[in-house]
Amino acid sequence: MRGLISAKSKVGGACVAVAALALWGTITSAQIVPASGQGRAQSQTQAVTYLFPEQVTVPAGKPSAVALHFRIAPGLHINSHTPSDEYLIPTVFSIPADSSAHLDAAKYPAGTEITLAVDPKTKLSVYTGDFVIEARLVAAPGNHLVQGKLHYQACDRNECMPPKTITVPIDVIAR
Amino acid sequence: MRRNTLVLCVTLFILAGFAWAGWANWEYRQQAAERLLAASGRGELVPDPSGGAATYVTPLKGKPAPSFALEDLSGKKVSLASYRGKALLINFWATWCAPCKIETPWIIELRNKYASQGFEVLGIDTEGDDLKPGDTAGWAKNKAEVSKFVQQMKVPYPVLINGDSISTPYGGLDELPTSFFVDRQGKVVAAQLGLTSERDIEGNIKKALTQ
Repeated sequence: MRGLISAKSKVGGACVAVAALALWGTITSAQIVPASGQGRAQSQTQAVTYLFPEQVTVPAGKPSAVALHFRIAPGLHINSHTPSDEYLIPTVFSIPADSSAHLDAAKYPAGTEITLAVDPKTKLSVYTGDFVIEARLVAAPGNHLVQGKLHYQACDRNECMPPKTITVPIDVIAR
Repeated sequence: MRRNTLVLCVTLFILAGFAWAGWANWEYRQQAAERLLAASGRGELVPDPSGGAATYVTPLKGKPAPSFALEDLSGKKVSLASYRGKALLINFWATWCAPCKIETPWIIELRNKYASQGFEVLGIDTEGDDLKPGDTAGWAKNKAEVSKFVQQMKVPYPVLINGDSISTPYGGLDELPTSFFVDRQGKVVAAQLGLTSERDIEGNIKKALTQ
C-alpha cells in the first residue's frame, strides 16, 4: 500500500513537472506587441527625440529652472509654441497632474520663420534641429521619477505627420 | 489532504497560464494581421532618377478603392459606393496640415472645372486625435473645428470625418495630404502623397475621367 502511494506521488509529480515545462514553453513563445493607435499605423520616423538631462538635483519646494534638450530629425520641422495659424498644433511640454513633481512654468524658444516654396506668402513659425525648453519644476524633498510629455506635430516641406506625444523621463532629486 | 490541495492549486495555476498564453498568442496574431493589412495598402515615395519630384507608388493602383461609409458634417452617413459612376478624388487631409491648406484652393478650382464631366471630390478629415467612438464631447469639438475650417476655405464638396478609422486599408495615412484618384468603375488609377502641384492634380483627375 505504501509502495502504491509512493508510485502515485512520483507519477503525479512527474505530470506537474511536464505541465510546468509545457507552460514555460508556451509562455516564452507567446508574444504581445503593444497595440498601435486606433486604426493608424505608427509613423516610421521619430521626429523628435529627448536628449538630456536624465537626472537633475533641485532645491526642495522651490521652483527651479531645468533646461530640457530635444532634437528634431533632419529635414523635419515642428510648429513652435506660438504657431502662425490657429489650426496649427503648438509644441507643448507638460507634466501629468498626478506626478509627484509639478511644472510651475515653461519657457519656449522663439520659432524660426519659414515659408513653403509653393506659397511664399504664408509664414510658419517652427523649430528645427536642436531646441531647448526651460521648465521650472517644483518638487517636495525626495526622489521623483517624472514622466513629462512633449506634444508636437511634425512636417517636412511637402507633407505632415499626425500629432504625437513623447515621454520625457526625468529623475528629479529634491533636497 | 494538504498535498491534494497543493496539487490542485498548482494545476489550476498551470491551466491559468495556458489560458493567458493562448490569449497572448491570439492578440499577437490579430496585430500581425492588422500590420499585414496596413502594409498591403502602404505605398512608398520613389525618387525620380532625373532629380524631379518623387512619385508616390501605391499597391492600391489598379484595384478597387477600399469601401467605406463615414459621416459628413451634418451627421449623414456617406458611402463610397454611392459615388459609383463618378470619377473621384478621395483627399485625406487635416486642419493642422499646412500643405493640405495650400492645395485645398487648387482642388476646389479643379472640382468646379470638371464637375460637369462627372467628377467629385470627397474630402476626408483625418485629425489623428485617436478619439474613441463614445467620446461625444471630443467628436463635437472635432466637427466644430472642421466645420469652421471648411466654411473659411469655402469648400463646396462633401467633407467626411473620422478618416483615421479607414487609414489601414488606405495604407496607414502616415503623412498628409494623401490623395487617391478613382475612376467611374471604382478603381484607383493614381495616388499622391504630400504637396505636389495643381498641374499634377489636374493630370490625375483627367486619368480618372478617361479610364
